[in-house]
Amino acid sequence: MGPILRARGLVKRYPRTVAVAGVDLSVDPGERVGLLGPNGAGKTTTLMMLLGVVTPDAGTVEVAGFSLPRHRSDAARHVGFAAGYLPLPERLRVREFLTMFGRLYGLADPSRAVALGLDRFGISDLADNMGTELSSGQRTLVGIIKATLHRPALLVLDEPTASLDPDVAMRVRTGLERLCADEGTALLVTSHDMLEVERLCERVVFISHGVVVADGEPGEVASRFGVEGLEEVFLHLAAERERQRAGGTA
Amino acid sequence: MTEEIQGWQASWLRIRAVARRHAYVLQRAPQRWFDVVFWPIVDTILFGALGVQLARASDGGHAAIGALLAGILLFHVVFQAEISLSTGFMEETWDRNLLNLLVTPLRESEYIGGVVLFGLGKLAMAITTVSIVAFALFAFHVTDFGPALIPLVAVLLVIGWSVGLIVIGLILRVGQGAEILAWGLLAIVMPLSGVFYAVNALPGSLQPVARLLPTTRVFAAGRTVLAGHALPWGQLAWAVAGTLVVAAVAVLWLRQSLAVFRARGFISRHV
Repeated sequence: MGPILRARGLVKRYPRTVAVAGVDLSVDPGERVGLLGPNGAGKTTTLMMLLGVVTPDAGTVEVAGFSLPRHRSDAARHVGFAAGYLPLPERLRVREFLTMFGRLYGLADPSRAVALGLDRFGISDLADNMGTELSSGQRTLVGIIKATLHRPALLVLDEPTASLDPDVAMRVRTGLERLCADEGTALLVTSHDMLEVERLCERVVFISHGVVVADGEPGEVASRFGVEGLEEVFLHLAAERERQRAGGTA
Repeated sequence: MTEEIQGWQASWLRIRAVARRHAYVLQRAPQRWFDVVFWPIVDTILFGALGVQLARASDGGHAAIGALLAGILLFHVVFQAEISLSTGFMEETWDRNLLNLLVTPLRESEYIGGVVLFGLGKLAMAITTVSIVAFALFAFHVTDFGPALIPLVAVLLVIGWSVGLIVIGLILRVGQGAEILAWGLLAIVMPLSGVFYAVNALPGSLQPVARLLPTTRVFAAGRTVLAGHALPWGQLAWAVAGTLVVAAVAVLWLRQSLAVFRARGFISRHV
């Protein structure tokens, strides 16, 4: 069985910058991968290209055997996406929001999937709340449930636990671990919390200046940089970026 | 196991899901009722009263009232079709829901289909409002149009949706700064289309532009029918041809705008 996600030679240039300069990335079924790097490294642009929201200037993306952008709609049936920075629509109750997205993913009657998702993340009591009545942590959980209603083969998360309390972040992590174990869902997650990534992911891909600079198991990647953990790899890359930026402006 | 459906059934399911989402918004956003009820009432009273005044001043009888009320009724068809499509899309940008939608299997055509489906409901409410107020306050019967009302409304609907697609394309390219055009574009079309008057009432320099607009032909045909004549099929044929051109241009513009939106990464404006 081939990878659920395969990207080759992704390039994205904007008028004043090259956001992504040739990224190769693949994720196998059931694999949990962390996509890491300092701010501006090209993580979110890479994710947007993998999801078909941004068109690459060069390179190819294939999801579950469907190539983008031609078969975007078919590919999207196999992917779920949530981001910590996305709010919920103002005038929908949680249940209505989830039901709507269940239908967009092709579920004729999403009520069971909605109930299961709310239960998995321990927020069944919020089903009838308006989206605006939720805390940021609760919104994140609802966003992840939305992304998993259709039992996708690949779940893509952009900063899922950004600005969450440690206890809510742990709830997110536990829910994700249960989901991956129960459903065999592959995970591609960006995060600035290296501890969380070490707990959640069996493989990490570091991006810097729009290119992949390291790809492997967390311990292996850390030792390649001659450091103890992912946090230090991250700091090393961020410092290198600052040095280059200072050199560029000098 | 939850049943996942595919093909046209999934497509229809997605269209209804979008329509239902907008129905919730209408239900819970009192300001949205301005478009559907408040403005139709205000416009009907305004133009009905103006018609009464003109009729008294010129001994023109009921004709002036009928022409003005028919004009505003038909104009509300274009307005409601356009505004429901463009504000439907704007709702997604205001709610920062665009990225959520773009990563689902929802196709652009299905999204438009859902908003159009919901918009038809809004249109029915607005036209019913105009008809009831016009009848109750000015004894104007919408049934005076007879069956001719159907093709006239159909052409105006397509024009309204086309203008809505153009506005969405502008928002995709320029960002939320283009939102004002949801109301502004029709404010340009309205005087040029002879909603309440014949084209020759316009300044000479504007008349060639007015004659090019398919809306002008529809409003003129509406006045002809109300005057007791048969539907001028020639006028209507020109209107249909012009409308098809406008609709094709609008669809091409939207497709191009979406391509630009994806190529330049403009989603970053909406998250």
